[in-house]
Amino acid sequence: MSERILMCGNEALAEAAIIAGCDAYFGYPITPQNEITAYMSKRMPEEGRVFVQSESELAAINMVFGASATGKRTMTSSSSPGISLMQEGISYLAGAELPSVIVNVMRGGPGLGNIAPSQGDYFQATRGGGHGDYRTIALGPSTVQELVDCMPLAFDLADQYRIPVVVLADGILGQMMEPIVFNKKPRRSLPPKDWALTGAKGREQNIVRSLWLPEGSLEKHNYKLQAKYQQVQKNEVLCEQYEVDDAEIIVIAYGVAARIVRSAVKKARQEGIKAGWIRPITLWPFPTMQIAKAADELSIFLVVEMSMGQMVEDVKLAVAGKVPVVFYGRAGGGVPSVDQVLEKIKQLTIPVKKQ
Amino acid sequence: MDTEISNMADIDIAWCPGCGNFPILKILKQALTELTIEPTNLVMVSGIGQAAKISHYLKANVFNGLHGRALPAATAIKAANPALTVIAESGDGDMYGEGGNHFLHTIRRNPDITNIVHNNMVYGLTKGQASPTSQIGFKTPVQVAGVFLEPFNPLAVAIALNASFVARAFSGDAEQTKEIIKQAVKHKGYALVDIFQPCVSFNKLNTFEWFKKNSYYLNDSHDPSNRNEAFKKATENGPFPLGIFYINQDNNSFEENIGIYQENQKPLYERDLDIGKLKSLIETFIVAK
Ligand SMILES: Cc1ncc(C[n+]2csc(CCOP(=O)(O)OP(=O)(O)O)c2C)c(N)n1
Ligand code: SF4
Ligand SMILES: [Mg+2]
Repeated sequence: MSERILMCGNEALAEAAIIAGCDAYFGYPITPQNEITAYMSKRMPEEGRVFVQSESELAAINMVFGASATGKRTMTSSSSPGISLMQEGISYLAGAELPSVIVNVMRGGPGLGNIAPSQGDYFQATRGGGHGDYRTIALGPSTVQELVDCMPLAFDLADQYRIPVVVLADGILGQMMEPIVFNKKPRRSLPPKDWALTGAKGREQNIVRSLWLPEGSLEKHNYKLQAKYQQVQKNEVLCEQYEVDDAEIIVIAYGVAARIVRSAVKKARQEGIKAGWIRPITLWPFPTMQIAKAADELSIFLVVEMSMGQMVEDVKLAVAGKVPVVFYGRAGGGVPSVDQVLEKIKQLTIPVKKQ
Repeated sequence: MDTEISNMADIDIAWCPGCGNFPILKILKQALTELTIEPTNLVMVSGIGQAAKISHYLKANVFNGLHGRALPAATAIKAANPALTVIAESGDGDMYGEGGNHFLHTIRRNPDITNIVHNNMVYGLTKGQASPTSQIGFKTPVQVAGVFLEPFNPLAVAIALNASFVARAFSGDAEQTKEIIKQAVKHKGYALVDIFQPCVSFNKLNTFEWFKKNSYYLNDSHDPSNRNEAFKKATENGPFPLGIFYINQDNNSFEENIGIYQENQKPLYERDLDIGKLKSLIETFIVAK
């Protein structure tokens, strides 16, 4: 399948997961991602693979846990409140070092909030989300095409590092129709799944667990996890940069917010303002180095999010006080407009020019 | 009877025209009015779903919490103030799916609350996926080949757990449903009322006519104290019996069983801080030098 076709984000990511070799999908209904479950319910059986509508998100993530333990590629999807429920399971997946892909089509929060688009789950996705010292890889695509390209990457990263990978989308990306191509890229060469529960014929038994009781053993396990996370940080950062070299101001945004920023920055350039953008694609690992480097050259950063300010903390850590970092965001389903972002860019750059 | 007392001022009711939730709302208001339960003394606790919106549509104290988790909150509200009438009301997906574990353990705990479940055999709010009570063969955009899981049987489960009051009603029958709800609210201890409710938008199998055709009332000779008989009735797989299946008067309520009300009847929320007690408690932590 390499011709361009028109699909909504939710269905496109589901098809991309199937192409990436997802063997089993488990999910529980929640808006705004029900199209994923509906699509999987038809396509997975057609492919001779497993689809289950579970009785709750807790069941779904634990089915993922079980399927992953057998070495199969597995995923679930939900939206914010459902993802919160899954956090215990995600922590165990991280502790047991099992691969899995978790799609969060974010909605407004906290609590039940609403079903409008939001980026309020950034902290949850990039800090581990559940209990204990762990990270999940978090991907933040901004177009339907990128969402489609994220899925095989997510499965590969999950298998390569034996880690849960979270794909963060939102209601807009999930529902919007865009032309896409299902690119068949060569897979990474991945390590054999010699840890999987496949029957212990002719070998030692495998044990899946996250419990480490003997003195010192859990600390050792944590060091092992941290070493792995350092490898991820070193090797897997993805971000997009635009007109950064001569920029006075750089706007940082991810996901749907980055689409708005892109238009605002281009307008600013037309008006003679030296603006650029950096768009993290991996939210964890975060493009800390890229932002730190830019901080040496320019005078101000603007961070735009559909939240009250979460990624801005990572930007501040990267900038380390070298230049000001200003935040503009809207929450609870509010979406910043191109004009609002442009206005902000102007406010921040005009005084700089006068100096 | 005029239900003015529980009417809300102008509100937008977000249910589809013709939905079985409308008669349930009307019947509930009627039952509460006839029982002279003042809105000030009523707490409507609900989860998430079309049915769960009901707490917003009548005059009451409202606790609209998490999907599937109305029952633990309702238990705690009742324990903090046993003088309140507490009704936990949601849909079949909410109470039996996401909240299935709470359903089991609330029955065991036996708080003096009423648990009303709008059973439309579908997830209405999320637009038509199968619910735990969906019938075998029911086709949806997700269950494309039809449901093949054994439907959850809330009444049989409740009777198996020796629940204190177990009933089933039909939203299409105002008079009998009102009487069942009144009995349930008056009953001391946990009372389950599962109400057959047509969802006109997403369940074209279990329609008003289907429920009408596939249900009948338990006759007068049915003895609700006979647990085995009640269980047998609850396992009938269509036509489905309606009425009060089982009443178990033997068990104390949760509020009676927990120590706090045995000597002092004053609701927890009204009790003052006992400074003397607090002081002696703190002193037990102060290590003498
Ligand atoms: C944790 C969580 N998961 C999923 C949802 C989405 N959701 C809202 S209501 C509902 C089920 C509705 O079905 P039911 O309880 O039968 O109520 P009905 O709408 O049919 O009255 C679901 C799955 C949610 N709000 N929260
Ligand atoms: S979807 Fe079904 S249950 Fe919900 S309001 Fe409409 S008819 Fe009623
Ligand atoms: Mg329902």
